[in-house]
Amino acid sequence: MNFSDVTAMAPFIAAILVAGAVILVDFAWPGRKTAALATTFAGLAVVALLTVLVGQAGSTAFNGSYKVDALTTFLDLLFIAISALTMAFAPDYLGERGLPVAEFASVLLFAMSGAMLIAGSADLIVLFLGLELMVLPGYLLAGYHKTDGFSTEGAIKYFLLGSFSSAIFLFGIAFLFGMTGSTRIDAIYGNLKQVVDGTAPFSPALGLGLAFLTTGVAFKIAAVPFHYWTPDAYQGSPTPVTGYLSVGPKVGAFALIIRLFAGALLPMAPQWNIVIIVLAALTMTLGNLVALTQDNVKRMLAYSSIAHTGYMLVGFAAFAAGQMRGLEGLLFYGAAYAFMNLGAFAVIAALQRKTGITSNLSTFAGLVRREPALAWLMFLFLLSLTGIPPTAGFFGKLYIITAAVQAGTANPWLNVLAILAVMNAAAAAFYYLRVVVYMFMREPDGEIAANSHGRLVWGGLAVTTVLTIVLGLFPGLLLDLVSTAAKAVIH
Amino acid sequence: MTTSGLPLLSIVTFLPLVGALVVALTKSSQPNQARYVAFGFAVATWVVSLVMLTQFVTTTPGTQFGESASWIPAFGINYKVGADGLSLVLVVLTTTLSAISILASFLPIQNRVKEYMISFLILEVGMTGVFVAQDLFLFYIFWEVVLVPMYLIIGIWGGKNRIYATIKFVLYTLVGSLLMLVAILATAYTFASSQGGSWTNAFDLQTLIAFAGAGHLNGTFGILAFGAFALAFAIKVPMFPFHTWLPDAHVEAPTAGSVILAGVLLKLGGYGFIRFALPLFPEAAHWWAPLIIVLSLIGIIYGAIVALVQPDLKKLVAYSSVSHMGFVTLGIFAFNQQALQGAILQMVNHGLITGALFLLVGVIYERTHDRTIAKMGGLGSATPVYAAAFGFFVFASVGLPGLSGFVGEFLTLLGTFAAIPAAAVVATFVMILAAGYLLWMFQRVAFGELSEFLKGLGDHLVDMKPIEAMTLVPLGVLVVVFGLFPGLILEVISGSVNATLAAVQQAAPIALGLLR
Repeated sequence: MNFSDVTAMAPFIAAILVAGAVILVDFAWPGRKTAALATTFAGLAVVALLTVLVGQAGSTAFNGSYKVDALTTFLDLLFIAISALTMAFAPDYLGERGLPVAEFASVLLFAMSGAMLIAGSADLIVLFLGLELMVLPGYLLAGYHKTDGFSTEGAIKYFLLGSFSSAIFLFGIAFLFGMTGSTRIDAIYGNLKQVVDGTAPFSPALGLGLAFLTTGVAFKIAAVPFHYWTPDAYQGSPTPVTGYLSVGPKVGAFALIIRLFAGALLPMAPQWNIVIIVLAALTMTLGNLVALTQDNVKRMLAYSSIAHTGYMLVGFAAFAAGQMRGLEGLLFYGAAYAFMNLGAFAVIAALQRKTGITSNLSTFAGLVRREPALAWLMFLFLLSLTGIPPTAGFFGKLYIITAAVQAGTANPWLNVLAILAVMNAAAAAFYYLRVVVYMFMREPDGEIAANSHGRLVWGGLAVTTVLTIVLGLFPGLLLDLVSTAAKAVIH
Repeated sequence: MTTSGLPLLSIVTFLPLVGALVVALTKSSQPNQARYVAFGFAVATWVVSLVMLTQFVTTTPGTQFGESASWIPAFGINYKVGADGLSLVLVVLTTTLSAISILASFLPIQNRVKEYMISFLILEVGMTGVFVAQDLFLFYIFWEVVLVPMYLIIGIWGGKNRIYATIKFVLYTLVGSLLMLVAILATAYTFASSQGGSWTNAFDLQTLIAFAGAGHLNGTFGILAFGAFALAFAIKVPMFPFHTWLPDAHVEAPTAGSVILAGVLLKLGGYGFIRFALPLFPEAAHWWAPLIIVLSLIGIIYGAIVALVQPDLKKLVAYSSVSHMGFVTLGIFAFNQQALQGAILQMVNHGLITGALFLLVGVIYERTHDRTIAKMGGLGSATPVYAAAFGFFVFASVGLPGLSGFVGEFLTLLGTFAAIPAAAVVATFVMILAAGYLLWMFQRVAFGELSEFLKGLGDHLVDMKPIEAMTLVPLGVLVVVFGLFPGLILEVISGSVNATLAAVQQAAPIALGLLR
């Protein structure tokens, strides 16, 4: 280990240090929420700054097993933004339930550092370490409300299926290592290229390894039919955690897909892309169909997040069929989805600030009279999730569908996916608008008092709102970033 | 550029948005503030649109008042607006009807006035934007922007069944428009790949029309893409069998919502056919024309027959819209000058007349809170001014010569007769049917003894109030003026008509070859 290793990994190291610092601050001033929060936000700012500084240089660490490129920087900044927003939305909700804020922040920061490790990994071992570092804190967060039975139930399901899928994934890595003789992404890429060119033998075990890896990541991104853990885990978790879980680990898992499939396994894209296409079609369709029947908004958004996974997979399938735009679209969609979905969950969390308020549709009845600002913001986020212009969600869909249409000339199935995606968007409009119907067009069932909301919540909502609108009106702001980030993957 | 040097098109498009922001600043407890601000901005927008009309040069081909700025370069998307005669006429129709609708909402809308006015002004932005966009992406944005405020207007301020109606409206529209989005993207990509992968101007309408004119969008691709565009437009028009959202939406929408729905929203479909579907896919247009003509005829007949048996005033007018809008699509797909002129006239006139009819239904509904025709009767003696106004617009809708409704249908039929005589004959007979259902309805409402139901209203049954009259007079004047001097509109739209026909007729021989 030398100094250049440290500089390359400085953002990751800083994230770990901040996570520890938050705990120390909490020891020093127990129960002082403000101190812990200030440390968290200041720390996140430092991590973001380091990310930008290191990202400009672009370097590798530990003999090339960790790599900082444009994609790393883009994803790291996205993870930092997700964590910061989650920390803005959580304290109100946690405080009301007597749950400690400092520990929450610390656990969240560890999860973030895991995601950052994934984003920069150039070696499968590092990739797996990052994955575990990201998901283990996730289990803790899901069960964070430990006196709540549903929270515990959701956490256990999340944990069991998560560990199970990690094991499958690890198994896949083992096969890949066995067949290619390396865990380094570049080396695997080179080896597979030889296999495809016919200069190295193809072994069935390689196919088995691919199958394990695909299954493992399908669990992680909650693609149908590997999605069963999601609704319970999402519904049971404390609402701000649900918001985080539906975004952070999901984008993290997509980072893993990009590093693994677009980085290492690209030569065999024709072999695995058909699986991605089927997964994409199933995921968006089933996610939407089941969401149609939900009366609980949290659960509905859980299924809708499955559907959004499907849209992102469409982008990835387009990339695998040879269109860079697919990967760019996936990255853009990831960012857009993160902001609009966090915003939507923030509204639900704000409504549920007082204990005992459910996330059922009835809570939303007549909301525009009770809390007009929240109702209009929710309307905006739901429009964006539906994909109505001029919002970030619309441009994300447009990006991905463009990529699919482009790829359709090479692989006609992508045309089918494009049409399936828009039909799904229309179906999704039904359940998103159902919430709007309750908020704007129905009278409340009974009297619910309006909640007061902290400054952090309003600040976070302002950020998500502005980003949802600005990325929709002027997507050009992000296009250069996603296109350089996407190019970084290509060998 | 315009003589004044101002970006007039952007002003006319976005002035209502400024208005919406100003309305947002008014106090919810002072609904009159919101009303006057909204109306003020609507009138100002209307004035700007009239200024544009005076500056419009009818002899110049192509679009005028053009503005262009790069927007999303990576996709070749520009903010590009421009107006030819067709756009301008429809813009003026939009600004006129919007101002009238806002005025007509002063009395009926007493609940959440501020939000209502904001929705209405944003709706105006979307509608105007659709008519002036010269970039397919920009067009699509405006097309979808229209959806949201209308969804709220029907859903919040509508009648008993409003939620069902508004969701049906949104879902129908969304299915059509999303498939159109795929077609737009595929068209842009086809262009981009022909340019060696450069997306510059890939969404630019004029560029794409020139590209299409060279035959690059023909064949199977054109047929599929036209199908996707046509579905979106057919749902909006609405053509049989995609019309079922319309009666629900009309019946549940508040009066002003119905006026805009019939007056402008339906025109978006007809405009889309003329502006986008035909010039971009001329060969496919010929391929699809027989089907569309048959569906138009079915719509014309079906709408009229169903209107005949409607017990509800508003539903009757709604179904008459289905029938009248059938003439528009019929005229467009006859592919000749007279028919296309007629179709455009019919769009404008239907906007004015049906808009007025919905206002009139709204006036009586304000007093009775009922629209059942059977409960009415004898309004001629009780409310003579109202009955006279109603009669005037009923005759205009029937197509009485001298009033504007006649000219559009007549020209459409004349043109259609030259192209497809059988279709014209069928459609002509339906005009008699139209006279039947409209006059019979008017007779039941206005003539005879005052009905028991209306008597029971006592003093509530007052004649037209000045504010209500103010909304109807301008429409009445225009109906007479355009009835006597249809040349006023024909002159403005002649350039657009010729350009569209040139694009379509060029493809005719190839298309006929395809059919054989």
